[in-house]
Amino acid sequence: MARTRLFARQRDGRIEVRLNEFGHDFVRVRFADLVAAQELPEHRWRAFLEQPIDPARDADDPLSSLERQKAVATNAELALLTADEDYLSEGEAWSWLSSLQHVLRAAAFDQGVVDYVSLHAASPEALEEIHALQQLLFDLSEALN
Amino acid sequence: MKTFVVNSTSEGTETSTMDSVATKRPWSVVVWDDPITPMSVVVVIFRKVFGFTVDKATHLMMTVHNEGRAIVWSGSKDLAESYCVRLQSLGLQSTIEQDS
Repeated sequence: MARTRLFARQRDGRIEVRLNEFGHDFVRVRFADLVAAQELPEHRWRAFLEQPIDPARDADDPLSSLERQKAVATNAELALLTADEDYLSEGEAWSWLSSLQHVLRAAAFDQGVVDYVSLHAASPEALEEIHALQQLLFDLSEALN
Repeated sequence: MKTFVVNSTSEGTETSTMDSVATKRPWSVVVWDDPITPMSVVVVIFRKVFGFTVDKATHLMMTVHNEGRAIVWSGSKDLAESYCVRLQSLGLQSTIEQDS
């Protein structure tokens, strides 16, 4: 039996969100965590959200780092604001994709998943979280493609 | 101390420094493989950021997956940084490097 996609492109261009109440709760909690990680330097996800732009240099261009931080924060805030919506505009859908990507990355790193070896050795709980986020991302990317 | 490179041409003699030669080498945007990002997400991000066709975006995604990394764009440093920031903002592991 075919699985129902979690997101679908409508004829008017909007993205339909086919999540039930649990699904909306799931994304809202994680978007809220991502917003908090952007605002609180001591947040457990904070370290996982920053990566070098030019590894050959000791420090990246501050303007580029700031631009990235601003983009991630703006997307996370928009995603949180629209977490309960049943239809998303193109821009809102991209803010979801960006935020889900950062949540996936932070959640995986938080569970010690940094490569294929640690992924295969991850706990069932960690894998359940990762697979749920991957499913959301897969279906959303299909709708956006 | 700067090292000077002198090229003799039919019109005369051109002098440039190694510094200026170095800055003319293009910068590349490199995307790195990671174990968790779904392949379809990488494709849709490449299409969004660079305007690639599905075929080109898919080919580059497979290069990242099979070889661990792929150069997805080359050009000026400013633009390379800008593209890298956009990719990172969308959750892809990317860096810039100057071509050797």
